[in-house]
Amino acid sequence: MFSRDPAASGPLEERSVIGFRHVDLVYSDQTALADVSFTVTNGEFLCITGPSGAGKSSVLRLIAMDAFPTKGEVIVRGQLASRMNRRKVPRLRREIGFVFQDFRLLEDRDVFDNVAFAQLVVGIKSNQITKNVMRVLTQVGLWNKRHRLPRELSGGEQQRVAIARAMVNSPKILLADEPTGNLDPETAQEIIGLLFRINDAGTCVIFSTHDHGIVRTFGERVIVVRDGKLVSDEKRRGAVDRKATITDHMYRAPAPGRQEKVHA
Amino acid sequence: MLRSAQLQYLLKESFAGFHRRKLTTGVTILIMGSSLLVLAVLTLATLNLALALERARTGIDIRVFLQEGLTQTARADLQPRLVSIPGVSGVTYISPEMALHEFSGTLGQDADLLEMLDGNPLPPSYHLQLTVEARNLDTVRAIRDEVAGWAEVEEIVFHQDWIDALERWTFRFQLASMIVGLIVFVAAVFVISNTVKLTMAASARVIQIQKLVGATNAFIRTPFLAEGALQGFLAGSLAMGLLAVAGVLLEGRLGGVVFFAPGQIAGFIGFCVLLGLIGSWSAMRKYLTLRSDL
Repeated sequence: MFSRDPAASGPLEERSVIGFRHVDLVYSDQTALADVSFTVTNGEFLCITGPSGAGKSSVLRLIAMDAFPTKGEVIVRGQLASRMNRRKVPRLRREIGFVFQDFRLLEDRDVFDNVAFAQLVVGIKSNQITKNVMRVLTQVGLWNKRHRLPRELSGGEQQRVAIARAMVNSPKILLADEPTGNLDPETAQEIIGLLFRINDAGTCVIFSTHDHGIVRTFGERVIVVRDGKLVSDEKRRGAVDRKATITDHMYRAPAPGRQEKVHA
Repeated sequence: MLRSAQLQYLLKESFAGFHRRKLTTGVTILIMGSSLLVLAVLTLATLNLALALERARTGIDIRVFLQEGLTQTARADLQPRLVSIPGVSGVTYISPEMALHEFSGTLGQDADLLEMLDGNPLPPSYHLQLTVEARNLDTVRAIRDEVAGWAEVEEIVFHQDWIDALERWTFRFQLASMIVGLIVFVAAVFVISNTVKLTMAASARVIQIQKLVGATNAFIRTPFLAEGALQGFLAGSLAMGLLAVAGVLLEGRLGGVVFFAPGQIAGFIGFCVLLGLIGSWSAMRKYLTLRSDL
């Protein structure tokens, strides 16, 4: 499923959706990442962990093309992101969903509009937007709260709205930066369960966390970064009982985002 | 191509800044409108001066007074020589009698004074009409210099000081208008830029999410450009409106002043819209990077 040192073996595997080759990232004088190499294949569920400031978010930023490597190469869905024409970045970003610790919802718009916004800006037809938003909100169990404003929802519900927004454009990759950071353990488990369901439906999920408990319980493949360096890359397939994580009620609807092709 | 939902969204967002920051936007339009009013007044003054200069130039002529005692043949020989000078379009002979008649006309009720004269003291002269291109100080002086050397010529007269002053003042006004125009340009761009920056700062979260979900820069910047253009349009219209009101109030005291033609008003407002667009563009530069600040 993954190679510990892909750079040593030449071209990246065909199945890989993300590849890092000897990547350095330097902000001003500060080195955020140093010589990081790894690949992620289709359908993987990857957990990136490490202490605060270790470089977890920097890895996600590079995948999101929100930053570009100072040295080395980053490949996203077969495209060399580090040397990509910057005008092409928005289109490639449409294949990536984002979820954040602080949810980042638009406070003055209701749940429906928050999710619909992601479709609107990429030019989906109005009637299709309604169908897609209805689908993902049903899947995250929030269709009945579609007219609520974010402040009228609990933290877990807000994160589910954020996940619905991330998945409404049917991305191939879902990046989640500390998605459980602001949630209590029970809600955190619920969100991880939702991420598992998304992954089960075929979306590659990469999430960062500094919570050891979450890593121990849910980490199937765990990359540890410390001081900007990748210190371990461990696959623990079979170590996690997904069904125990995904509670029964969460199976009632299909996983978000993978039922229809929604890109215009 | 934009979908109707996107167009609707962009239209709504273009007015969102106005709606959310009524006071700031109002003050911006007021400041910009006042600055543009100064520019409009200066432009109007320059325009009127240019028209006055043009009118004055049509009256520019040269009077060539001849020596006394010239024979009729010598006098007649002068006519083709004068006509052949570049810039001269026509020549009219003014006899001493015609000159006296003309002079008595200018004296009006005091024309009786002329009866006290023993004879007609006025010399014969030629009145030179000039081509449009020659109606400027340099050409007039060149003609004078050429004719002044002729033995048959006694004196050459034209309204040098008056033309000189008018040209000088027109040039100064044009220069002042350009300088003020430049200052107003920079000030208007700065004011609009700051207002749009406020709007963008308030919309930072929206911009960030737009970038994350793959919106193009063109899509992101459109509402802000529209906001700047709209501010420019309103400020330009305000300036023109105030100028028109002032024109109505001062009507009668500003005899002969020409106001802007509809095409010129449209051009001025178009210029203000351009100012708004430049202001918005300069405000957006730093937001147009790919970074979404994850």
